[in-house]
Amino acid sequence: MQMTQTLELFPGHVVTQLLFKDVKNAAELRKSAMAGEIPGALINPSMVVDPFQVLVATNKALHLQKAGKMKTRTLYSEIIFNLSPTNNISEAFKRFGISDSDDAVQIPVDRVSSLSDTAKIKKLYKVTPQEDASGSLLDAVICRMATKDVL
Amino acid sequence: MADEKVSNHVVQYLNSVELLKQGAEARVYRGKFLGKPTIMKERFSKLYRHPTLDEKLTHRRTVQEVRSILRCRRAGISTPVVYFVDYTSHCIFLEDIVGSVTVRDYINSTQGSETKCLNLLARKMGQILAKMHDEDLIHGDLTTSNMLLRQGSGGEEADLVLIDFGLSYISSLPEDKGVDLYVLEKAFLSTHPNTEVLFDTLLKSYTAASKKAPAVIKKLDEVRLRGRKRSMVG
Ligand SMILES: Nc1ncnc2c1ncn2[C@@H]1O[C@H](COP(=O)(O)OP(=O)(O)OP(=O)(O)O)[C@@H](O)[C@H]1O
Ligand SMILES: [Mg+2]
Repeated sequence: MQMTQTLELFPGHVVTQLLFKDVKNAAELRKSAMAGEIPGALINPSMVVDPFQVLVATNKALHLQKAGKMKTRTLYSEIIFNLSPTNNISEAFKRFGISDSDDAVQIPVDRVSSLSDTAKIKKLYKVTPQEDASGSLLDAVICRMATKDVL
Repeated sequence: MADEKVSNHVVQYLNSVELLKQGAEARVYRGKFLGKPTIMKERFSKLYRHPTLDEKLTHRRTVQEVRSILRCRRAGISTPVVYFVDYTSHCIFLEDIVGSVTVRDYINSTQGSETKCLNLLARKMGQILAKMHDEDLIHGDLTTSNMLLRQGSGGEEADLVLIDFGLSYISSLPEDKGVDLYVLEKAFLSTHPNTEVLFDTLLKSYTAASKKAPAVIKKLDEVRLRGRKRSMVG
């Protein structure tokens, strides 16, 4: 499964998301990613409501890279960091990166919604009951990602 | 030089999209962001202000706007989703409330008829403002242009969406809430002549919706009186 989106703010840049299921070698993939051998971010798809979430994180990562203001070492790690509602880097990797036992991997993917763990996402992003009743989960998530620097 | 020229990819992109409104402090654009219809609000510097102070003020307004949007959404009050913020060009990328009209344009379009819809709208405004004040959020610039009506998809009643939080702040003081309502009253009655009864409906609904309303309305009365005295003297 694959989806591609151009970034209006960065002409020439294209984000492709891929979703892999029934992954058996998560540990190996993670090692390769850490060694910089994979030109992409490996994301835990259970934390993704919609591919738009990953696009927002990627746009912000590129923006901060151009401004020289990234909080992590690489563009790909910055994408993972931007998905998190907090500014704690190790927490972001724990929640949004993949772990050795994972059997699905999303590489900035479509049909993501089918794999997302809604309860876990609501808890992690601290979505309030009022908010849950009045708007979509994706909107709640996007707002927190976009505003976390000033909260 | 009018503004300190920040030129980055955001500014370059803004040059290529439709300019909706050129205001005194901000330019509002309409375009796409990651494929979605998006409103971009860029605050710019003022010639007459000291550059450092100016930068601080502009930054603060941008920060206030996004913080208050999140605060509203947490409380279940509709506001546009924030997609992206650039603190260099002071530009906020917001969900475009597609097909919406400002409350101002809506009221003007009715030309005093459709009393039933207008009353419904005034009650809704009262309820939402009460909810916002119960969160101790003061809007700071309440006008009928800073509220949008989103047409409900299929039959359901229109949703009221609050925007333009650049002057907002947190306060639990009844005085601050009273002044917030006073600002709205002034704007409302001058933009829409002969709507005293309608505004009264709004205030009644505000009062019914919040336990803290009596203290706020008392302050509103005091502020009105002060306003009147001032205009008699001046
Ligand atoms: N999210 C949105 N969706 C649709 N229309 C919008 C949205 N945000 C703003 N608008 C339109 O643009 C107009 C101006 O926006 P806004 O009130 O935020 O800016 P402003 O009044 O110039 O700001 P300021 O008062 O801070 O100078 C609104 O009255 C509305 O018509
Ligand atoms: Mg406005």
